[in-house]
Amino acid sequence: MSPFTCTREREVTELLHQGYWPEACPAELRTHVETCRSCSDLVLVTQALQTSRRHALDIPRLESPGALWWRAQLRRRNAAIESVGRPILGAQIFAFMLLIVVAAGALVWKGNLLRAWLADFPRALHLDALVPSAFSQSGGMGWIVLPAIATVALLSGVLVYFATEKQ
Amino acid sequence: MPWESTIPNVLAGDGQPLAAGAPAAAMDNEQFAGFYARSARSLWAYLARVSRDRALADDLTQESYVRFLCASHPVDGEVAARRYLFRIATNLLRDHWRRPQSSSIDDMPEEFFTARCDEGQADSMAMLGPAMAQMRPRDRQLLWLAYAEGYSHHEIAEVTGLASASIRLLLFRARRRMARLLRQKGEA
Repeated sequence: MSPFTCTREREVTELLHQGYWPEACPAELRTHVETCRSCSDLVLVTQALQTSRRHALDIPRLESPGALWWRAQLRRRNAAIESVGRPILGAQIFAFMLLIVVAAGALVWKGNLLRAWLADFPRALHLDALVPSAFSQSGGMGWIVLPAIATVALLSGVLVYFATEKQ
Repeated sequence: MPWESTIPNVLAGDGQPLAAGAPAAAMDNEQFAGFYARSARSLWAYLARVSRDRALADDLTQESYVRFLCASHPVDGEVAARRYLFRIATNLLRDHWRRPQSSSIDDMPEEFFTARCDEGQADSMAMLGPAMAQMRPRDRQLLWLAYAEGYSHHEIAEVTGLASASIRLLLFRARRRMARLLRQKGEA
């Protein structure tokens, strides 16, 4: 016998779970339960909890199983989409980082050529014809070209943002 | 038109039994409806009596089934599926208790649980409600699983995540305390 239990507990538990206690149980076992602290605790607690369970089974207004089943399908589908999208996002981040590195490398390598091209660019497009001669003579055309490029870049960013949001 | 009518036979209580070894996610809606009809009330009773909060029991019952259906864990027949479901519910209950500042449910003051006791007033067992309120949440879990659901020590260990060897002692202490409280209420 374990220090915590009585040897007859299993017998009493079976009778309780089969619903045979106390009517269909031997008188000798009933006498034992009256004298055994462990078994009487077992009977008292099991009967109280089983009665509580019987009452509790009638209480809930359960959600329709169909709703739960569909909710689970949706969650699984979303999880699947997320797991597929994760490597794509990783690839996008990698490509963006690569682009920045390549752009920075190109700027360092061919910086002089770019500066010369930018300086020559307004003259190639004849932009000096659009502004008064005083402006073009004072500071060159960089003050027009650079803000124009920045505006185009900003607008492109906004467009990409809205396109991504729609998706 | 109610949307339930668009899903064929989903509300029927008698679905096919679960295939052994198949994951719960492989269940079709008819199989699930049958399994749900056979298990949902006892799961709700477990959650309601252990948490002492019917609204929480409603929420956790639904969440348990959704997680059960999303799981890729293979279930070996209906008995194992029920056990797995109780395990999910037990983990959700534990997560719920851990969400407030305390890091462990054992560290939480008993007033936290007794203060939320709307179940006790509606409890048909006038003696059991107050006695359950004075038990620790883990003890309520163990007692319910062992004596209301009839699970073995091994099954309780699987559901609660406790060591199988410690279940016997924990259960013995919880039962002794519960019996003492019930007797006190009976005498009073």
